[in-house]
Amino acid sequence: MGTTASQLGKDMLSEYQELTFLTKQEILLAHKRFTELLTKDEKDLPNNRVPMERILTLPELKSNPFRKRICNVFSTSEYKDGGLTFEDFLDLLSAFSDSATLEIKSHYAFRIFDFDDDGTLDCGDLEKLVNCLTGETDDTRLTPEEMRQLINNILEESDIDKDGTVNLSEFQHVISRSPDFVSSFKIVL
Amino acid sequence: MGGRRGSRQHPRLVNCRTIQRQNHARELVKEADLSQWDALVIMSGDGLLYEVINGLLDRPDWEEAVRTPLGILPGGSGNALAASIHHYSGAPPVFSEELLLSCGFLLCQRLVTRMDLVSVHLSSSPRLFSFLSLAWGFVADVDIESEKYRHAGAARFTIGTLVRLASLRVYRGTLSYLPVAEEEEDNPPLHHQAPPSRDPPCQNSFHNSCHSNNSLKVRKAESTPSRSTTKAPSGPLDSLLLPLDQPLPVDWVVVPEEDFVLVLAMYQSNLAEDLLASPDSTPDDGFIQLFYVTGGISRAALLKLFLAMEKGLHLASSCQHLVHAKVRALRLEPSSPKGVITVDGEVVEYGPLQAEVHRGLARLITG
Repeated sequence: MGTTASQLGKDMLSEYQELTFLTKQEILLAHKRFTELLTKDEKDLPNNRVPMERILTLPELKSNPFRKRICNVFSTSEYKDGGLTFEDFLDLLSAFSDSATLEIKSHYAFRIFDFDDDGTLDCGDLEKLVNCLTGETDDTRLTPEEMRQLINNILEESDIDKDGTVNLSEFQHVISRSPDFVSSFKIVL
Repeated sequence: MGGRRGSRQHPRLVNCRTIQRQNHARELVKEADLSQWDALVIMSGDGLLYEVINGLLDRPDWEEAVRTPLGILPGGSGNALAASIHHYSGAPPVFSEELLLSCGFLLCQRLVTRMDLVSVHLSSSPRLFSFLSLAWGFVADVDIESEKYRHAGAARFTIGTLVRLASLRVYRGTLSYLPVAEEEEDNPPLHHQAPPSRDPPCQNSFHNSCHSNNSLKVRKAESTPSRSTTKAPSGPLDSLLLPLDQPLPVDWVVVPEEDFVLVLAMYQSNLAEDLLASPDSTPDDGFIQLFYVTGGISRAALLKLFLAMEKGLHLASSCQHLVHAKVRALRLEPSSPKGVITVDGEVVEYGPLQAEVHRGLARLITG
């Protein structure tokens, strides 16, 4: 079902409330902020997909080290370009909201960290994860030895079946014991 | 837990007690007849030794009791002291079963060294004694997480740590310390009584109005009986500390920065089996090695610092945000409403604290 930019009908509002973890106010605010990202011509069209570059101008995403992966995970675009419709945007905010459960958050965190989208976190994914955190300029990234040391530590701690990768349940197992994870994994407009 | 006195060539392990709950060890040690035993050996984590030390210092005969040689065999989730003892032997680092074996051998050599203890004053808890570390900020938080899911010998870094690095925060507060004077470096004064001319040294708790918001389980210090005139307080006098509401003496240094990522005070070499946070520490050097990281450090730099710390190489790094000082006493006054402070890896009351080192107060079997 579509939503034009100019209004958010009462029925749609109720439906979104039921389908997401967001409150009515949060949905209305999301609608307002999403609409601000549209050009004048786009505003009258239904089902707009906002390109990723524009989504990333939002201050709440701009400095998030995983912003591109977040857009890619929530995008339903057939071109895999990270562009978001309003409903994609709501799904994103819902997963990162205060009320989303640990299971939802850890599920999405896993997908975000799974850079090659193959269902497990292998060394390549972990390396990209670390590089997102450190930045990729020469003076900030880890040396190959430091990277190896860190990835070994992570696998030592999280890879329970010792197959060299971290699967979803191993990930959720480790994350569930981290008291800070839920509060770190949050985006609120 | 002890070897009966008798022939020194053939100590006999006679009394083995199993600890059932928190403070059980402390109570046992407080009431025990120590004249019968050569040593107390703890097979557990640092938490149990913490209880034993505080139990010994809570006795009327504390001055002699605290000289009871203490040994440790790593068996719990916090094995920093065992790892430190192994480090002092000069051997390369080992973990879990190998560490246990190494500590067993060292214990059998029965060589005893003096061990520094640090007295810690919190807002409203009774004074306590620490043998390992004090931490505030990122390190204190990581302590708590790791204890929950690490298996013996596992490393500290997990995806959880990286996630927290993603939302790195600063902790606000004031840090001050009494630096070690240069001429004292090689000959720090041994634990001694307070000189009479000073202001009354503080020995018990102070009043403070700081609120604690955290809901983490806090170690309950043994409640002291009401301070009647008949009970003499036990333990050494803290000659270097003044009550919190009094300004610091002029020879103290006040750190100009107010935003910290972490503050760590160490008096043994290891913060954990795999974190050689203070490679130059020895058990009886009479110093507190104070480390702090100021706000503004990048995630990359902090990550590199922790990786270097695993091997004890962080001091060689050129990180401008990391500061290291040798001190004899310190005062920390956090102003962030939320936060965590750990003593020997265990959460304590959040709020202002002061600490002073007592050189060589206890005895440790190091081999």
